[in-house]
Amino acid sequence: MKRSNLIIPFGLAIVAMAVSLMLGRYGAYLAHVVAIAAIGAMSLNLLNGWCGQINFAQAALLGVGAYAAGNFGNAGWDLFSLPAAGIASALAAVLIGLPALRLRGLYFAIATLAAQFIFEYLFKFAEPITHGVSGLLIQPMKLFGRVIDTDQGYSVLAIFLLLLTWLFMTWIRRTDLGRAFLVVRENEVVARGMGINVPQTKMWAFLISGFFAGIAGALMGFTARLAHPEAFGMALSVDYIAMIIVGGLGSLTGSLLGAAFVTLLPEVIQRFGEAFHIADQLSALREMAFGLLIILFLIFEPRGLSAIFRRLDVRRLVARFRPHSTNPVRDQTENQPKWRSVE
Amino acid sequence: MSKLLRSAMITAGLLSCVAPAAAAEITFCMWGTITGPDALVNGMSYGPRDYMEFLNQTKGGIAGNKVKLLLLDGRYKLDEELKHYRRCVDQEQAVVVNGWSTGSVKALRDQITQDQVPFMTQSYASEVLDPVKLPYIFMAGPTYEQQMIIALRDAAKAGGKTVVIMHGDNEYGRGPTTVVRQSGVIEKLGLTLADTVEFPYDAQDITAQMLRVKARNPDLIYVQGSTPQLIVALRDAAKVGLSATKFVGNSYNISPAIPEQLGAAAEGFRAIQVYSDFGSDIPAMKDINAFKANNKVEKEDVYYMKGWMEGVAISKAIEAAIAKNGGKVPEDIKAFRKSVRDELENLRNVDDGGITPPLNYAGHQGTTQARLAVIKSGKYVPVGDWIDAQ
Repeated sequence: MKRSNLIIPFGLAIVAMAVSLMLGRYGAYLAHVVAIAAIGAMSLNLLNGWCGQINFAQAALLGVGAYAAGNFGNAGWDLFSLPAAGIASALAAVLIGLPALRLRGLYFAIATLAAQFIFEYLFKFAEPITHGVSGLLIQPMKLFGRVIDTDQGYSVLAIFLLLLTWLFMTWIRRTDLGRAFLVVRENEVVARGMGINVPQTKMWAFLISGFFAGIAGALMGFTARLAHPEAFGMALSVDYIAMIIVGGLGSLTGSLLGAAFVTLLPEVIQRFGEAFHIADQLSALREMAFGLLIILFLIFEPRGLSAIFRRLDVRRLVARFRPHSTNPVRDQTENQPKWRSVE
Repeated sequence: MSKLLRSAMITAGLLSCVAPAAAAEITFCMWGTITGPDALVNGMSYGPRDYMEFLNQTKGGIAGNKVKLLLLDGRYKLDEELKHYRRCVDQEQAVVVNGWSTGSVKALRDQITQDQVPFMTQSYASEVLDPVKLPYIFMAGPTYEQQMIIALRDAAKAGGKTVVIMHGDNEYGRGPTTVVRQSGVIEKLGLTLADTVEFPYDAQDITAQMLRVKARNPDLIYVQGSTPQLIVALRDAAKVGLSATKFVGNSYNISPAIPEQLGAAAEGFRAIQVYSDFGSDIPAMKDINAFKANNKVEKEDVYYMKGWMEGVAISKAIEAAIAKNGGKVPEDIKAFRKSVRDELENLRNVDDGGITPPLNYAGHQGTTQARLAVIKSGKYVPVGDWIDAQ
């Protein structure tokens, strides 16, 4: 792995952690929610974007993570609750992925949809583990004897785990397994011809994706302090699919940008509405605006925000703010020193 | 829109996440369901907002201090509601918060205690009603369990013998019915529970369940559901020949939508009425009509009346807290919140203009009384007097 691939994420994560500690509780909560969503989106991106396996059961995997972490946490196994949640979700993901050995494309997508509903049912009725429709109340997380009961604390933890997820994803993409994911996505026949064990590769994708979905779910549970069946419904799966589409399928940066976009868009619309005293009216239009944005992305920028981000050139961006002039000579003589000073 | 304006708006949005508001202001922050599955009953969040605005317009606020109001849309989504709570408490520095769903108040109950912020919940869940362990959580009326007990008492008084309980397959449906069943109160009242019938909360047809209920031939069928579920239940009951007169619903079933959509099939249906209906001949309507003359009232229903009543209670507590501080708004928000909590708990015999019997918040419930209302000629008509669930 290149040194820059380590230094830049580390640097950004440290800055993000420092900022989240300085933010008020509300700002830290938003940072925390974005970080959790980004971990979940990266996990889905590995499966959908890299390995080409459509999964509508992401919410179910998050739910398994939340319930597992809640039960382990409440039993006093706080330190192990996060990896345990990851393992539980990874196993659930393998179960969901089993039909992928026989089904492809739309048929497999429908199978994952069915799995989502089966898990929703289990969340409601497996009362000894989930506490049924009342939901499982979760104690605040304890790490190394210290209770994490502030949003800033959870924010730092979530950003740290996001960093680990990012580094792992960057690493795995460069391994043989990561390259095998991409070949399986492009053409399974070709993959077989190249000697790739396709079923095994798919199962690895489900296992890894499930593990990180479980970590995200565990963080969701600890933040909400409640794992509730209604919180892990189909709508949440759709949100995650929207994140990777808006962000850009197959892109890690896209997963991060998509997570931030989908999570913060309602907030931006709310603030916009409040500024112009039309918050109530905009509330009604918010879902519509959300759907419309996804359609617009699919039509005009199917590669998502990551493609826009890549196209962004800082110099060009600065030049765009340059005052327009019809006199090129004046532009050169008057504006040049000014821009030099800015640079 | 220029790029500069867009950038400025984004920057302003981000900055607003960082900078908290001034602490000495009286801020009342709430979230409801402006959109989402419960939007039909969102009058509950318009009510307190409008009452505070009424005070702003007619009395210059509370004790002469303007109230800053913020109503957010929780969309009945847990993550959205948790976000709003943090905004209300941290960023807006609200002195009182009014929140929506049972799920959110359950998730937040420890944090509410930790933050020491008075929290008026729209939920009636008994799990969040505990003045000792949860001293900052208050609710408006009788819990779902208490509402059910009021209906059972009425049935027993009328000579009924057998009861069937119907409920949705979610927490709202299962939770309270399980508590009442296990408490043994049905048997204590001399009634027999003939059956408990669960139905999918979003079901569009429950004819099969109604045939099962009919086979039990009960005197009372209590349904723990919201208005949409009651519409389906009464429609399918009529199909199998079960009269609406046997059905009783909770306080969320006083909705004009039921007689409007079902017509004759709804005649005789009874529901628990905790708050006087919008347009009743009560003193509070004078204020509401005065407010309506200059402002838009979003929902003219019984839920709006509940919200208006909450506004009365909260404003009385804030007023008392200011009076205790020598007529000034306390500068320390923590002390202000604690004082408002204490004053809410001290509220006795508060006149809310006849919306409910006089309010008494010693037990953290404004009232524990309710009466039954029956649909007659397409309208809800109160039957009998207030019954106390305690």
